[in-house]
Amino acid sequence: MKLALRELRRQPGRFVTATVILTLIASLLMLLGGLLDGLLSGATSAVLAQKGELVVYSSTAEDSFQRSRITTDTSATIAAVDGVSDVGGIGVVQLGARVPGNDDRDLLDVVLFGYELPPEGVAAAPPTGQAYADATLEAQGVEKGMTLLLGQARTPVEVIGFVDGLQYSGQGTLWADATTWRGALNANRPGAGVGDGVFQSLVVELDPGTDPAAAASAIDAATDDSTSTLTVVDAANAIGGVEQQRSTFNQIIGVTVIIAIVVVGLFFALLTVERTAMYGVLKAVGARSRTLFGGVVLQAVIVTLIASFIGGSLALALDLAVPPGSIPFTLTPARLITSVVLLLLAAVIGCAFSLRRVLRIDPATAIGSGT
Amino acid sequence: MFLALKEIRRAKIRFALLMGSIGLLVFLILFQQTLQNGLITSFVGAIRNQSAPVLVYSVDGRVNLQGSVITPDLASQIAAVDGVAASGQLGQGTFSAQAGGSTETVGILGYDTEGLGSPDSMVGGRLPTADGEAVALASAAGDGFDIGDTVTIEPGGYEITVVGLAEQIGFQATTTMFTTYPTFEQATTSANPDATSAPPAVITLRPESGVSAAELVSRVNDAVPEADAYTRADAAAETPGVAQVQQSFNIIFLLYGLVIPLVTGLFFLIITLQKAGSLTLLRAIGVPGSRLVRSLIAQVVVVLAVGIAIGIALYTPLSRQQLGGIPLSFQTGAVVFWSVLLMVLGVFSSLFAARRVLAIDPIEATTGAGVGR
Repeated sequence: MKLALRELRRQPGRFVTATVILTLIASLLMLLGGLLDGLLSGATSAVLAQKGELVVYSSTAEDSFQRSRITTDTSATIAAVDGVSDVGGIGVVQLGARVPGNDDRDLLDVVLFGYELPPEGVAAAPPTGQAYADATLEAQGVEKGMTLLLGQARTPVEVIGFVDGLQYSGQGTLWADATTWRGALNANRPGAGVGDGVFQSLVVELDPGTDPAAAASAIDAATDDSTSTLTVVDAANAIGGVEQQRSTFNQIIGVTVIIAIVVVGLFFALLTVERTAMYGVLKAVGARSRTLFGGVVLQAVIVTLIASFIGGSLALALDLAVPPGSIPFTLTPARLITSVVLLLLAAVIGCAFSLRRVLRIDPATAIGSGT
Repeated sequence: MFLALKEIRRAKIRFALLMGSIGLLVFLILFQQTLQNGLITSFVGAIRNQSAPVLVYSVDGRVNLQGSVITPDLASQIAAVDGVAASGQLGQGTFSAQAGGSTETVGILGYDTEGLGSPDSMVGGRLPTADGEAVALASAAGDGFDIGDTVTIEPGGYEITVVGLAEQIGFQATTTMFTTYPTFEQATTSANPDATSAPPAVITLRPESGVSAAELVSRVNDAVPEADAYTRADAAAETPGVAQVQQSFNIIFLLYGLVIPLVTGLFFLIITLQKAGSLTLLRAIGVPGSRLVRSLIAQVVVVLAVGIAIGIALYTPLSRQQLGGIPLSFQTGAVVFWSVLLMVLGVFSSLFAARRVLAIDPIEATTGAGVGR
């Protein structure tokens, strides 16, 4: 082990190439992970912030807010189900917003939520015609007190404050009362309008200790299966494109890990070939194959840790440099740790390709060829 | 050259490992290129493969069929622009539907004028001629969208019969159907009785003879402040999400494009260092440096060619599959582009090893030093 560390110290140039490539791979891994987390957060954070445990859609809606309709009767039925402590309607409409001072064609993409039960970080529903705005909209020029004109119908909504981390489908959100939302929806989307009292979905809060899965089944049974009830996490995953994004990025991340295994395997296999004579001598003087292979693994782990550190620093720098509302990039400690663990795993697996060569070294032959 | 090939034969595992690695990387690049194209086609194929050369959204629509609403007044203003030969309307809605025994998400596009919003990539059957008929995405034929199948809109139970199939007409990664405008209206009111109307999402235009599509786009945008006109290709490219998908993939391609030459270059550099003694000896007995470099480059070309061939061989069968509902297709252009680019970059990366070879001083054969020093 000491020999492996000494070689790293005395001949760092030998490991620079592997470190550079692994740094690229580490950066790629963290970049991909950060992009995935950013995209998912941008698509789902408004739903995940709901304080309730369950989200109820109509059964024919395929768990889509836009296609779901919940009437007041259904809402009353659900409120009476055992274990349900509170029920609140929620609705969504995606519109272009005209910002005062901006060009007529320079619109902002916004998602107007109408709500009854406030999500995390949002106060109770404001008076009709007013809304809280997600902070990403502030980064795009929206200010407190501004009146945004939504959609073709120019529905006015005054921004009375900002909330953090509530995006939907990659867009900033506005949080208003049901009347404001219903008015904007019916005026701007006549084909998707809703009647008085109708919401697209319901957020359901449960009594403490109630099993969400059992409550979801009870709700659907109480409505004769005219509803489809999901946990908040499942509702977030049901947003269009979320699962596709996750599976695509996870496949790419998996492939990148395979590349890391190949790269580490290739480099340490070659280094082992280069050091055959030296290993022969070491074996001749009593070094065990286990010790020699342990040295190779140690070197790979150190090189990987250095590469991960540099890659992580680059990813962190990118995370700090990216302004809110631009590239959907979010770097979390969990993502950094997962990426480093994956790379270390790849390094150890890659090194295993050298094990056979180390075991095969014959001290006598090696000494002969070496001399 | 003989020596170069002989060395590859003698060190099969070493070179096979590199060829396999390059093959895997090439496969990944080609696969992701195909996935990107398939993904984008499934998002905006319906726009690319409809027949109208110009699409006009409302400014509020943000180049999104799902967000754009055209009022009758706006439609009249657009149709009156100088240079418009004909105009039509195209509506879009996303519905839940029963098809093939299961509930599917279906995108429906309704057009009122053939040649202005109708699909132009038909592969079977015919265009709808009556209400309740539609052309469906060909790749979804096996899922209850084949000619003769009935698709039932939920809720409401409105039935649409598939009478034709067209390829690459996906929209927002859903199974998509093109139908008549009245059918689209009936599907909308069937699914949502609260709907007060089903206005068009875009106005489709055909320019007069002598007026290009791009010119008509400018005229519409200049004349109607509430209109947002695009050529067909621009409308597809500007659809929200398309540019982001392309940017994300481009970053990944760039990184993969860096990894392959790096792996190749470093591999041959290490091999050169390992052969230091032999190369010095060859130089000492009179072999010119240029010949050794040619030998090195020959090895690089062989390794890259075999690696690229492995990658293409792995990619070919996969490119004919569907991935998560996204139909893939063999991208000849991508294969040629990446093969040439990676070959050039790979050969270029071997110049570091070539530099080492040329730096060999034959006299060092007598002192034991070589390229490694």
